[in-house]
Amino acid sequence: MTTSPLTTRRPVSALKRYWPQYLAISPFYILFLVFGLFPIVFSLYISLHDWDGIGTMKWVGLAQFQYLLVDPRFWNAVSNTFIIWFMSTIPMLFFALVIAVLLHQNIRSKGFYRVAYFMPNVTSMVAMALVFGSVFSDTFGIVNSALKSLSLDTVPWLTSDWGIKTTIAVMVIWRFTGYNAIIFLAGLQAISSDVYDAAKMDGAGTARIFAQVTIPMLRPVILFTVITSTIGGLSLFTEPQVLLGNTGGPNESGMTIVLYQYNQAFTQFDFGYGSAIGWALFVIAALFAAINWRLVSERTGTKKWGRTK
Amino acid sequence: MTTTQARRDARALKQSRVARIVTHLAILVGVVLSIFPFYWLVVMATNTTAEIFGYPPKLIFGTHLFENIGHVLAAIDLFGALGNTLFVALSCTVLVMFFDSLAAFAFAKFEFPFRRTLFAVLLATFMIPAQLSLVPNFVVMSQLGWIGSFQALIIPGAANAFGIFLLRQLAAGAIPDELVEAARIDGAGFFRTYFQVAVPMLRGGLAFLGIFTFIGAWNDYIWPLIVLVDPKRQTLQVALAQLSSIYGTDYGMVMAGALISVVPLIGVFLIGSRHFIANIAAGAVKG
Amino acid sequence: MLNDESGNPMDDLSRRRFMSVTMAVAGLAATGALVGCSRTESISTDPNLLTLWYWNRSISEKLLDSARRSITGTPRRLRTDLIGGDFDVKLRTSLAGRAYVPDITGLNSNVALYFPSEDQFVDMNELGAQEHKADYLPWKWQFGVTPTDRMCFWPMDTGPTAQFYRTDLFAAASLPRDPDEVAATTDTWPAWLEAGKKLKRNSGVSLLANASIVYSQIVNASAERYFSPAGRALFQDPGGTIRRAWDVAVAAAQAGITAKVLTPAEQNSAWVSGKVASHIEAVWWGPILKSTAPNSSGKWAVAHQPGAPGNSGGSFLAIPKSCKDPKAAFDFITWLTSPEAQIQTYEDVQLFPSAPKAFESPQLSSPDKFFGGQDVLGVFQESAKEVPITFISPYDSQVSEGVLKELTNVETQGKDPDRAWADAMNQGIRQLEKRGLMK
Repeated sequence: MTTSPLTTRRPVSALKRYWPQYLAISPFYILFLVFGLFPIVFSLYISLHDWDGIGTMKWVGLAQFQYLLVDPRFWNAVSNTFIIWFMSTIPMLFFALVIAVLLHQNIRSKGFYRVAYFMPNVTSMVAMALVFGSVFSDTFGIVNSALKSLSLDTVPWLTSDWGIKTTIAVMVIWRFTGYNAIIFLAGLQAISSDVYDAAKMDGAGTARIFAQVTIPMLRPVILFTVITSTIGGLSLFTEPQVLLGNTGGPNESGMTIVLYQYNQAFTQFDFGYGSAIGWALFVIAALFAAINWRLVSERTGTKKWGRTK
Repeated sequence: MTTTQARRDARALKQSRVARIVTHLAILVGVVLSIFPFYWLVVMATNTTAEIFGYPPKLIFGTHLFENIGHVLAAIDLFGALGNTLFVALSCTVLVMFFDSLAAFAFAKFEFPFRRTLFAVLLATFMIPAQLSLVPNFVVMSQLGWIGSFQALIIPGAANAFGIFLLRQLAAGAIPDELVEAARIDGAGFFRTYFQVAVPMLRGGLAFLGIFTFIGAWNDYIWPLIVLVDPKRQTLQVALAQLSSIYGTDYGMVMAGALISVVPLIGVFLIGSRHFIANIAAGAVKG
Repeated sequence: MLNDESGNPMDDLSRRRFMSVTMAVAGLAATGALVGCSRTESISTDPNLLTLWYWNRSISEKLLDSARRSITGTPRRLRTDLIGGDFDVKLRTSLAGRAYVPDITGLNSNVALYFPSEDQFVDMNELGAQEHKADYLPWKWQFGVTPTDRMCFWPMDTGPTAQFYRTDLFAAASLPRDPDEVAATTDTWPAWLEAGKKLKRNSGVSLLANASIVYSQIVNASAERYFSPAGRALFQDPGGTIRRAWDVAVAAAQAGITAKVLTPAEQNSAWVSGKVASHIEAVWWGPILKSTAPNSSGKWAVAHQPGAPGNSGGSFLAIPKSCKDPKAAFDFITWLTSPEAQIQTYEDVQLFPSAPKAFESPQLSSPDKFFGGQDVLGVFQESAKEVPITFISPYDSQVSEGVLKELTNVETQGKDPDRAWADAMNQGIRQLEKRGLMK
């Protein structure tokens, strides 16, 4: 771009000159202002009041948060959310990695497999929650029927504490394993073969290669999947709500944080408390993100055969 | 080649044969587990409730699909909900594709003042969980008079950070500066350049974003659940949940409804799977 | 492609700029046109159509059909919306969102929930409610009157309670079979406890499914509950209803006369299998029992419950203030709940009337084969006459939630009752403080 008299003028002129660009990016910022930023500030305001959405707001100061800190239902929801996240993410990542490694071999019909593995991720969660609800039904589910036919005890999948958590975790695993497997596969495919050749020349066995070459080079991908699974795990709502109703089933074993927020805000019409729960979730999410980041990406020093990107 | 070498090779060959079979088997097990719930959905949708509840349970398709679908349609206006969902999902998709690519183009190819700051702000919005704004957005919607309307579902997400971020990455690489420059020299304004240069070059990314947005809008549950009130103006997910909560014991019917809500999306996905899978993977690896 | 021969480049630039600007603006305007599309508060705009929200089997379809053709005495017609899922959630959402509010709405027994927002509903006193007051059971009528004496919730059906029991299981344990004798044997709660212990001792059968049932039904039968109409907290009073109900429930749990089954599915199976011999519930439970345990037909009977009878459930009708024609809506409501219509309603959906005149109809007294030929409705009619007038506060559930939870702990985990009571009170008070109702 050649200099012209235009560029030496004051910034106001640059604004005028770049108005199409500003117009182009404005929809996002306008929408964010109205439906993103303002609601967040407003949410803080609501959380300092008691309000049912219909009547008048009543100032209560920090009473909602004081209540939250000792509310056993809330902490039960937090504990459930984390337990389910734990129970689903770890097996899910493991299976996804295994599948990715398997698919990475020279096999045919990779395209078909990728589509098949991806399908669970794109389908209606409500519909699948209904299907899983029937598959794991205590009395009529085929899982229990299969156990019965093998002369084993049936499991109270939908009425016991661990049964409920397991069922939800299975749903999450089912939904995301294929998706993450495809992502890991792409990550594997992006590792150049020179790195492997160098390792083999140094005499490393398959296991050692996997541990010291593959995994480190997959680290950014693993980080991505852990982060997305954390976001998904903390916002778990549809599966427990459709499966168990607005209170997360017997003894609220399936009550997640977002389900509790929905329960309080939109079925009990306690907007103040619902907003407070939203903020608590934000704080928890931020903490968790920070921990995740430190744990997964804190590794200094290059490995022998790896090249950090 | 020595004999030990030959023997080692033969053993390796045999091992690799076994390994290949095991690999295939393992992959197939995974495929079966992935597909099984869909299979089971069809089994339940095509049988009567009594057959589903019986022991031993029926494991193969039945013949009652149309009967079950008939019950569904008598109970709720599922096809109306399907139409509504289609409208909402398509509107979201079109708006998102347009606004996101427009913004992405601006960010990628033009050095306007505060560009960096503005983009940083955009990235920062990723950090905000959606649940923080559920309650206040409900209030905003009621002030705007949008409760129960489809605007409430379409407008808030019409331009999202994810799409802008993704397309900006793509635009930065895929659109050559020379073309933009050439267009500018030829006297084309920003918007003209956008339509004639950026859009064609971003086709792949747009297709991906489009499908991604469509699927997300189609499957959205919590927000429509909160915002939609009129039983005659519902989206598919909400209608399906409603069906299950009223007629929960008639499994055949509920599953038929579930089947109807699952099939269109699977169709869309199968058509666009090539773009979609490739791009999601690429995005994750690069991101 | 960008070469333009007609005219000088500067004009071109400005013309193109103009075009692109209009396109951009048009794009935004198109989306903007979607803004503010539906600002109507009421659901339908047809002035002759009144919309009614109700849930499955809460109103006789035959009566609704007639109203769909025309609402008697008015130029209006009815349009009905069957609302599934959480009825209260939907209604409150539309009230809060000020959109799609129906002209008339059914409401379940928890109308007290709406007392804080009573200004959203029409005061039917202004439409002539008092003229009809004498037609209805006084305690049912009173439920629909708000703390500020506005008549917002019109009586529809009621749920007088009694005890349903298995005659064969009672007889097997040397307890009386005949309803009058059973009522005499269990006329007080301590006597009832003794009967339960005898039942358990002699045949190992539980009297009730769980202790929460007896707690709730004692509360349902009392003149005072958790709060006074003026808002004073009564639930902590040592001699008050809540403490009394708690004590009886705890005694039942600790005496082992409950089966400790908590979920509906388990309860159903317990009644079917004969593990539990009785239930205290409202008249509307009869049809449910018949469909749950058809094979036990002829083995059940109904007797008056210990103490006084209460009311469990029952629904109401209300007119949101955005109603197009409150007078026509009120005419519909009074027509639908007249004693004659209530007889029809009972025939169609087995909902128990709130108008005593309806009791006199022969349809409402006939021997029921399922109950061994007993005229069960007669029992409930007597119950209905004795239900005390009481006040339900919108904040009852803030306290009852904790009490029920702790009761379950005592029953199933063996928690110490005094600690459980203290915890329950604590939780209730904390909830009320959070709502700014208690300091």
